[in-house]
Amino acid sequence: MKKVLWVPFLVLILLTFSIAPIFAQSSYVLPYPSAMPGSFLYKPRLLFEKLNKYWYFGNFGQFTYSLKQSDKYLVEAKTLFEYKQYLLGYNALKKSDRYFKETLPNLEKAQEDEKNITQNRLILSSAAQRHIEILEIIAKDAPEEFIWQPEKERPSKLKIKAAIQLSILLRNKSL
Amino acid sequence: MKKWIISFYSVFLIAFIFYSYLFIDFNLSYLNRFYSNFIFDNRQLTSIMYASFICTFFVFYFLFWRMYLNNTLGKKDIKWIIGMTSLTLLISYPAMLSYDIFNYVLTAKVLYLYKENPYIIMPMQFTGDPFLAFTHAANKIALYGPTWLGITSIPHFLGFGNFILILFNFKLLAAAFYAATAWMLYKISKDFLSVVIFSLNPLVIIETLVSGHNDIAVVFFALSGLYLLSKKKILLAFILLLLSILIKYSTLLLLPVFLYVVFLRIKNKTVNWDKIYAICAILMLTAFLLAPFREEIYPWYAIWFLPFVALLRRKSMMVVSLVFSFSLLLRYIPYMLLGTHLDPSPLIKTLVTFVPVTCVLMFMFVKNKLWEKRFFRF
Repeated sequence: MKKVLWVPFLVLILLTFSIAPIFAQSSYVLPYPSAMPGSFLYKPRLLFEKLNKYWYFGNFGQFTYSLKQSDKYLVEAKTLFEYKQYLLGYNALKKSDRYFKETLPNLEKAQEDEKNITQNRLILSSAAQRHIEILEIIAKDAPEEFIWQPEKERPSKLKIKAAIQLSILLRNKSL
Repeated sequence: MKKWIISFYSVFLIAFIFYSYLFIDFNLSYLNRFYSNFIFDNRQLTSIMYASFICTFFVFYFLFWRMYLNNTLGKKDIKWIIGMTSLTLLISYPAMLSYDIFNYVLTAKVLYLYKENPYIIMPMQFTGDPFLAFTHAANKIALYGPTWLGITSIPHFLGFGNFILILFNFKLLAAAFYAATAWMLYKISKDFLSVVIFSLNPLVIIETLVSGHNDIAVVFFALSGLYLLSKKKILLAFILLLLSILIKYSTLLLLPVFLYVVFLRIKNKTVNWDKIYAICAILMLTAFLLAPFREEIYPWYAIWFLPFVALLRRKSMMVVSLVFSFSLLLRYIPYMLLGTHLDPSPLIKTLVTFVPVTCVLMFMFVKNKLWEKRFFRF
């Protein structure tokens, strides 16, 4: 009889574990936000980034460069969205996506050159997971749409949530 | 007698080559037919043998030095000894005391074969590369400046992808810089004694001709710069100093000396070259003593100041550099004997390095006059 009493208790414990959401968290570390648009350091930063592209030569170098840039712009986008700078944040997100798209082709080229890409593939997957986590955080507070009204020009509609969803989709392919 | 001593020396060098091959790494598949577990099974014997080899090296060094001073050995004989030492030790096993040469080889491979920037991409990122099995510090980006990376293209490409050929090309490169440094010392001093003092120093021989360290290239460019400065070719002198700085940044300390010489030239004042060599020696000794702030004092760092001491030939500096040369080579013994870089090895290494120098300096201070009339006659 006593043994039978234990059964519902065990079932309850098992249910608790199965219901409680388990989040897979990536250990991938993103950088601190650097100079933001509007800062006097922003333009020199852009120039430095352009020059840096040549310093990061080679397939692995280009992969590292693209991923670092993607990280940097994602962090920039998050910060800008937090300050409700939607247009700037949207642009930063697009830049992050553009750089992220360049990561995998570089690894594929490295593989063609008979380089073992296993380690870098894992890094990319880990980065993609971390990016998705950040994008989900951004999506929580971001508006569905934002109408940007520049002076003396036509207003433009920014589909922010859709852009974030696209970014998540893009990173999902690299998981 | 002369022939006998040189013959004994050549036999000794051959014995040293055999001894060096006892240190072959098990993971070095390219040479594992020569692998024996001797150094691990016989740590005490290995250490005693090493200490004996070092002592014998110094005995020959002082003997040759003395024989040169007594005119028993002429310039031709010294050239022959230097050439023979270089060629014989070319076939010694390079990673006997340090694994740096493997690092040079793999860094060159990252740049020239994989076409990646070694200042960004670490060798260990090339999973599966056969060189990773025996290369230490593969988790570090390139440690040396661009001049060195440029120079390493020569042994890399002349190796045609064959590891053994590449490895020994690196040793050949070190030997070439060794010969060039000896020649440059002669050009500067116009006295063959400086060549004898520097080139036959066991530390220089072991760290350059056996281990193939690039410090010899660092001093070659710095000395060449100094030589051109004496010939009033200022631009070329600074270019050569820059080349030296861009291998290891230690020679950056020589920049004020170069500027000082240029200043004297502009002011039409005579340059006291002995004073310049003394300042260079002290600055490079400072760089050497500052090494523990970065990592630790490695024996091959002594190559930075030894050529300037050989040019200067001032008694006190000479004694310090000779004692350092000996004691630094003894730094390898704690690891050979104990098989660990952890305690108590660091303490023993520090004691071995600094206690003899301190004792000698104290002795010199007390018995200064005794030393004046003894061994060092110039």
